[in-house]
Amino acid sequence: MIETFLTYLNQDSTITAMVNIGSMTLFFIGLFGLLTHRHILRIFISISIMEIAIFLFFIGNTFDKRFTAPILGDGNTAFVAMNDPIPHAMILTAIVIGMAVFALGISFAIEYYKLTGKTDINEMNELGES
Amino acid sequence: MSSMYFIALPLLFGFATPLLAKLGKNGIAYVSTLMQTALFFLALSLLLSTNWHVEIISIAPPLGISFVLNKASLFFVLLFTFMMMLFSFYYLGLRKTNPYANEGKFFILINMLLAAAIGLVLSSDIFNIYVFFEIAGVSAYILSAYKKTPKALEAGLKYLITGMMASVFLLLAITMIYIHLGSLNLGVLSQTFETLPYNIKLLISVFLLIGFGFKVEIFPLNFWVTDVYEGSSSLVNALFSSIVVKSYLFVFFHILYLFMPTSEFSSFLIYLGATSMIVAEIVALKQTNLKRVFAYSSLGQIGFIFAVMASENVYALTAAFFIILAHSVAKMMIFLSITSIQREHKSVKIATLKELNSPFITLMMILAMLSLLGIPLLAGFVGKFLALKDFAVTGEFVILGVIVIASLIESVYYFKIAGNLFSNGEKRSKLILTLSQKAVFVTLALVLLLVGTVPFLFSSFINDAAQVMMDSSTYANMLMGVMK
Repeated sequence: MIETFLTYLNQDSTITAMVNIGSMTLFFIGLFGLLTHRHILRIFISISIMEIAIFLFFIGNTFDKRFTAPILGDGNTAFVAMNDPIPHAMILTAIVIGMAVFALGISFAIEYYKLTGKTDINEMNELGES
Repeated sequence: MSSMYFIALPLLFGFATPLLAKLGKNGIAYVSTLMQTALFFLALSLLLSTNWHVEIISIAPPLGISFVLNKASLFFVLLFTFMMMLFSFYYLGLRKTNPYANEGKFFILINMLLAAAIGLVLSSDIFNIYVFFEIAGVSAYILSAYKKTPKALEAGLKYLITGMMASVFLLLAITMIYIHLGSLNLGVLSQTFETLPYNIKLLISVFLLIGFGFKVEIFPLNFWVTDVYEGSSSLVNALFSSIVVKSYLFVFFHILYLFMPTSEFSSFLIYLGATSMIVAEIVALKQTNLKRVFAYSSLGQIGFIFAVMASENVYALTAAFFIILAHSVAKMMIFLSITSIQREHKSVKIATLKELNSPFITLMMILAMLSLLGIPLLAGFVGKFLALKDFAVTGEFVILGVIVIASLIESVYYFKIAGNLFSNGEKRSKLILTLSQKAVFVTLALVLLLVGTVPFLFSSFINDAAQVMMDSSTYANMLMGVMK
């Protein structure tokens, strides 16, 4: 029983479906958080969740479990039967960028809180038609 | 001659700032300005020789980072370096009386912004475009919140949140492109994009439109723009309006021309641009804050450029390039004038202009506003005339009508501002400009007059640029040829 279930889980189509459904669910959790929460830090966290969903979607769709990591050495001498390294490089770059922007946003939020004591984006109304 | 200098030198300046700090405060300012001037003259020297120039920093073929310098991207490199150079000269005058706190950072940020804007225009790899998209974004967010007042920080936060949303959708589009086509190179993509199923093409285009839509300030996604313009200092607004938006506009249409999905999509974009224009101009009417008025006026003009660029033919694109040139120059003049006014009067209400005592600034603002309206003999006329002619030729009379009505509405609030400038109120003491600041304004005004009176001096280059931008097959062949 468990054996068949594990074989089913190990099929390529199941993995792809799980990756797609899982990352889309995560994306919509992020979107839902973005639309329902008004606290500035929660908004940043929601957007980060959306970003992470895209990272998972991308890696999950370009990763093949039969292939090894794209590193030469340990007996591997040529780029055969290896996973495509480009998505990994891209996602690493995107994670770093996302982290930097997230940190910058939090620092803005802290400065703003120190000056005005506000954390709710609906109360941020210094700007606008007077 | 390498096109890499345009990206490497400004970035290098940022990294070298700790070393340059030994030269003292003035040292950094002068080195930065000198470098930007050098870049402008470098771009000018390329004007004579460049036809197509593809540069690849090769990792291992076919992997590599490629930059393409052709006439279309050279037009934007010239525009950005010219604007940045004049901006720096203006700031040199400003800092004598009232410098920014911690100036070293300010110079790093404006140079990063310049490098990212040029990088966006030159790169021919869609993930590189994402990276430069983010670099331009981050430096713009920090510049926006630079003064650390509640208003500035709120503007920075709003800019940052919308920017994060934009990058999420752009990344989604890029991942979908890579999953389905297995390449990030624009040359390869332009040839293989056709083979995708219709639904996937449409989905990718919509994600690209949402991602770039936030940044190119198109109608439903531009709710944040005026707040950011109001909260940031007007000095920085000059950069946002004349450099940042223009680079995003170019990249968006550059990508779209290489793989425009369907003709329905492009006509949808034309209507989107026209809606954006008319909505912005109507809302601008009831504003009382100068920065907000000109922010809405920017939105209107951007909508106009968007509609013209989306019409997908060489004549429209030539017109769009003329409008971009005229709009950048005029908005630079206006926001720099507002900076001077704000330093003197500590207010940016339209009514403040009644007290303004400076015939020079008045003349400059009037010239810029007339050019934005499209009065003959000024640069704005050329682009607007060519664009309207093209819409008439292609039979888009609805769009033509919308643009004419929007221009009429625009003239109403410009005349309101002009009325305040010329009213006989009680005047303040005379507004003082340094020589370098006056030189900057005179240069900008001369460009407006020169483009307006003798457009044929520029039209052959701009026409070539438009043709090059439309020509996606040559672009692909050049890139693939170098890749092999």
